[in-house]
Amino acid sequence: MNPKVKKLFTNMRVIILLVALLLAVVAIRPNFWNEGIAIRSILPNSSASLAQPPFSQPNPNTPPMSRERIIGINNQPILAVAEYYDYVESLDSNRTIQLITNKGSHTLITQENTETIVYNDTVRKTISEVITVNETINGSLQEVNRTVSRVVEVPRTEVRSLGMKDIGLRVYEAPTTNIRKGLDLQGGTRVLLQPEENLEPQDMDFLLSNIKERLNVYGLSDLIVREAGDLSGNQFVMVEIAGANEEEVKALLAKQGKFEGRIGNTTVFRGGQDITYVCRSADCAGIDPRRGCGTSDAQWVCAFSFSIALSPEAAQRQADSTSQLTVVSSPTGSYLSEPLTLFLDGQQVDQLNIAADLKGRAVTEIQITGSRAGATNQEAVYNTLNDMKRLQTILITGSLPVKLEIKKIDAISPMLGEEFIQNALLIGLLAVLGAVATIYVRYRKLRIAVPIAITMVSELIILLGMASLIGWNLDLAAIAGIIIAIGTGVDHQIVITDETLRGQNIFQSWKQRFKNAFFIIMGSYFTLVVAMAVLFFAGAGLLKGFALTTVIGASIGVFITRPAYSAIIEILLHD
Amino acid sequence: MAEEKEVLTGWKKFYDTQYKKLLWLPFLMLVIAIFLISLQYARTGDFLYKDISLKGGLTITVFLEKDIDIGALNQELQRAYPDQEITVRSLDSLGKQIGFIVDSDMDGSQESNIGALVLSVSSAIKTPLAQDQYTIEFIGSSLGASFFRETIVAVLFAFAFMGLVVILYFRVAIPSLAVILAAFSDIVVTLAIVNLMGIRLSTAGIAAFLMLIGYSVDTDILLSTKLLKRKEGTLMERLIEATKTGMTMTATTLVASVLALIFSESEVIRQIMIILIIGLLVDIINTWIQNVGILRIYLDRKHRQAVHHESQG
Repeated sequence: MNPKVKKLFTNMRVIILLVALLLAVVAIRPNFWNEGIAIRSILPNSSASLAQPPFSQPNPNTPPMSRERIIGINNQPILAVAEYYDYVESLDSNRTIQLITNKGSHTLITQENTETIVYNDTVRKTISEVITVNETINGSLQEVNRTVSRVVEVPRTEVRSLGMKDIGLRVYEAPTTNIRKGLDLQGGTRVLLQPEENLEPQDMDFLLSNIKERLNVYGLSDLIVREAGDLSGNQFVMVEIAGANEEEVKALLAKQGKFEGRIGNTTVFRGGQDITYVCRSADCAGIDPRRGCGTSDAQWVCAFSFSIALSPEAAQRQADSTSQLTVVSSPTGSYLSEPLTLFLDGQQVDQLNIAADLKGRAVTEIQITGSRAGATNQEAVYNTLNDMKRLQTILITGSLPVKLEIKKIDAISPMLGEEFIQNALLIGLLAVLGAVATIYVRYRKLRIAVPIAITMVSELIILLGMASLIGWNLDLAAIAGIIIAIGTGVDHQIVITDETLRGQNIFQSWKQRFKNAFFIIMGSYFTLVVAMAVLFFAGAGLLKGFALTTVIGASIGVFITRPAYSAIIEILLHD
Repeated sequence: MAEEKEVLTGWKKFYDTQYKKLLWLPFLMLVIAIFLISLQYARTGDFLYKDISLKGGLTITVFLEKDIDIGALNQELQRAYPDQEITVRSLDSLGKQIGFIVDSDMDGSQESNIGALVLSVSSAIKTPLAQDQYTIEFIGSSLGASFFRETIVAVLFAFAFMGLVVILYFRVAIPSLAVILAAFSDIVVTLAIVNLMGIRLSTAGIAAFLMLIGYSVDTDILLSTKLLKRKEGTLMERLIEATKTGMTMTATTLVASVLALIFSESEVIRQIMIILIIGLLVDIINTWIQNVGILRIYLDRKHRQAVHHESQG
């Protein structure tokens, strides 16, 4: 083996680069022949949610390649979204179908969608009832249950079939890599919301930022929220959002989020202003360990609990109102005569008994509990945790200044789309070739131009691997960040090359040459990173994605690819 | 040292001796740019031309159960309205196209505009549109009212922190001022040129301006290191060495950007590339004339002070 090649592959910096590349490819998990259609979400109480064995419940954090993929229904292979919807549309209700996925086969029964029409006329109907009568049996008077029939008049009704009910799966074309495409590249959901009353401009601004914050806290960050209006002067809010399903968006935005805790008729605290902290970590939020999950009425029910902290004023209000209550003893413990009742948008969501020893005390920490049901244990856990997350989001962000009504909710195609991605790949390739050609013109050495090309491509792959790993959405701002990270990367490789060539001419030690080059590189790295850190923390949405990608890209360059390049060039140029 | 010094001729000599006079060029450029941007602000109330993503516009949502070629419709509408910016996206439900959205930056306050656009759309898809098949909305900016204010504040803070890092790195204040001034000049002069070209900026364009910070910093740190930290050779030798490295850096990026501009089919990428190309050209002047001039004046003073101290001591 050529000694230079051996030297290259035993160099620590080169090995680190190769390992990083390998990890990146594992994270991206490319499979360009990935077949079928991936499951985005499962609607609750649908035939799909009752499938046996149950589908693994997808959530937004599931890496794209780990999602369950449908590859066939019954004996028919399903390879495209349109094929899936066509096939499902042809199904009849109350039939058993086999959904074949990459993880196995699921049996589900299609449900019928019915509608009950109530007419004005009445019909006679015989009903049977169980009544309790007193009867003398063997000389003693006893209560006995008897079943009797009687005839009643009821309004005439008719149950009409509306065909098969949606089986409850939301699907999209199977992804070929773990890289998540953002709103600009993949599309998403467009929601048009109408405020209940007309808003002043400053209230509108507040509403827009509040919606954005609420979706962000919930974990949806790739979105555009803007004001809209129509010809008759109506105001709207338009939200475009990637990676969310309709149910999530509806549940988050159709609620104004007026959260109140009342004792008797006194409001003790309100969401947003009186709540100083909402726990979201696993040690104080999750499935309630004391109540857990159980079955009731053939359904699974789970309970959640999480703690919140109240402001001192709210705690004082609570102390004032509890001091007037009396203590009631019950077999399960001593409680105050009035419970703490929680309301969301005027609807009671929970009622908590207040322990007797809290009477008149200003307590700042409160446990919020609640429960949700599901057809299976898994679905119940999922629904419960989702509900908890939603409630937490509302408590953190406070209520919207006005109630919103959802006018339209549509799936929307991306601004840029598939052709853009293909064109962007071509352009990326051309840009790399152009840069490398320029470098060849300057140095006249393939031993310099080829390693620079390899370094540029490595930076791109490691950056995309990083993006797949932390699950961030690739959008336009991120693409700009990638361009700048790779672009400044080439700048630094030229610095390394020039310092190496110069150092060899004046017989500097390798260490000194490396130090010289990295003094310049680290100087511009630190300067760029502080600038981007400020943009990340102080800037609005677009800036965040750009700043984050730039910092990660530049860091990969400084710590992985540039040291490797300097080692490669040192070995290749050494005579 | 003096006998080793090579004799500079031609433009190198001019560059070496006339750096103070050359400084007029970048400063004049900056003053004119600020003047032009102010003029634009006074005239239009905005310091840049905004496109639909920044300014908002008119949206027509059409519900039509018919397969429409979105790309072809987009092209047809763009032919019909060459001066307007128009994008078409499809609406889907359960895997089927149920309609499409036409976004345009048209002035929606004139009813005739709306009527004409609806007519163009219906002739492009060869289907008459009934009143209940479409809705019209005016959409606002995608970035929100406070975006520009927030961004300007964020960028100013970013400059301040960059300055701090450069001071800590070089242990002198002058290069830090020069780095900030160069980044600021790059952005302002490029914006003035982009305005003169009448380019309507999109959100991607805003990102491109921020990218200029990265490229600007690279050449400035290279220059400051060579002039302030290195001791080998004469000042001019080190400067020429830095110019060679810096010009290679700029040339590679320029070639890559020009190729991307020529072959890109996407308006978004083209806009990013145009801004980068202008910015890189402006940065050549701001680094190799403005920044060099400032650093050399500083070094001259330091040198004179050192000589002064020696003669006194």
